[in-house]
Amino acid sequence: MTPPELRDLLADALALWEVPGRVAVAGEGVALRAPDGTALRVTAAEATDRPIRWWVEKPGQRRPCTSVVGLLRTLRNAVGAGEGEARRLRVAAP
Amino acid sequence: MIPVSVVTGFLGAGKTTLLRRVLGDPAWANSAVIVNEFGEVPLDHELLAASEEVLVNVSTGCLCCVVRSDLTATLMDLLRQRAAGLVPPYARVLIETSGLADPAPILHALMTDAAVAATHRLQSVVTLVDALHGAGSLARHPEAQRQAMLADRIVLTKPDLAGDTTALEALLRGLNPAAAIRPAVQGAVPPEWLFATGTLPEFLDAGARHSDGVASITIEREAPIPALALTLWMQALAEHAGARLLRLKGLVALAEAPERPVVVHAIQHVVHALDWLADWPSADRRSRIVLIGQGISRHFPARLLAAIEAEVAEASA
Repeated sequence: MTPPELRDLLADALALWEVPGRVAVAGEGVALRAPDGTALRVTAAEATDRPIRWWVEKPGQRRPCTSVVGLLRTLRNAVGAGEGEARRLRVAAP
Repeated sequence: MIPVSVVTGFLGAGKTTLLRRVLGDPAWANSAVIVNEFGEVPLDHELLAASEEVLVNVSTGCLCCVVRSDLTATLMDLLRQRAAGLVPPYARVLIETSGLADPAPILHALMTDAAVAATHRLQSVVTLVDALHGAGSLARHPEAQRQAMLADRIVLTKPDLAGDTTALEALLRGLNPAAAIRPAVQGAVPPEWLFATGTLPEFLDAGARHSDGVASITIEREAPIPALALTLWMQALAEHAGARLLRLKGLVALAEAPERPVVVHAIQHVVHALDWLADWPSADRRSRIVLIGQGISRHFPARLLAAIEAEVAEASA
């Protein structure tokens, strides 16, 4: 995913979580600011970092994510939107 | 598999009138009817089971999570009676909900109970909207909105009393871009239209219709989708969109078996078991998924799927 694609995905996610804020491409990654003012940065991990695919950074902390699904979950917490609804996918009985 | 259709609509919308009309049609008289409320107009039909409400509070504690746990028991009791010859061999089940019911818990119960899902198939959700008072009900009662949002078919009742229904129809299309809408006086609407199978093509054609709050969003893929990517995508949608994800249907070519399409069908966070079709219905073998959501960015589902697909492809390379 290119930085502009990542920016668009994360901007959509912020809107879905009803979190105000701006997302912008910053170098090889994306920068955004949490509602509490915390600066966040998301970058793609190097192939040599696998299974890590994404890094979420904020001052004094760098968290790894192994998938875009994990990235969204981490970012959701980081911007104070709380955890996803307890409406995890449930497969109907066969 | 016995088809089950849910007939819902706000108080006074004319559900019982419609069902009486349906049951009066000889071709549809062999239907079992389950009503949620006692004391309504008795249906003159040989099969009538009554289902008392059992309310169960779950974690969120909201009315949307009320579970009608006796519904599944009623369905299975009826089936046992059918097998034992105690009731005629009905061909389908019609469930009339309470006028104040959010149909989602009922649909979830039908889809997730193992015994019911093994013997019954959810066929359609029919919502009745009073042409005279419907706009007011939709404005004041979230239950009425949910009934419209989750419908496969919407019947405008009492159009003869209301006159011009253009504004109401526009309102309903805003709430549910995929549902077909039809007016009916005194329940006069062909049962085949109400309870027909094959709502999927109509649903898939609903792409790109939207209003301010509710949108139908279409995703198309030329290349087959890995099953893992599809699963992760739906999981992430359910987690982040929550109750905003109203319906999702699709014909999907899975990478593991692209020669046969699977039908994907979800109501909010509950996904129906995948239904494999024998063959593609046309020469068009693209995957097409349509979801109806409230407040979901139009591009978010496709962007998310693309990102997940890329990761799954990389992991399996």
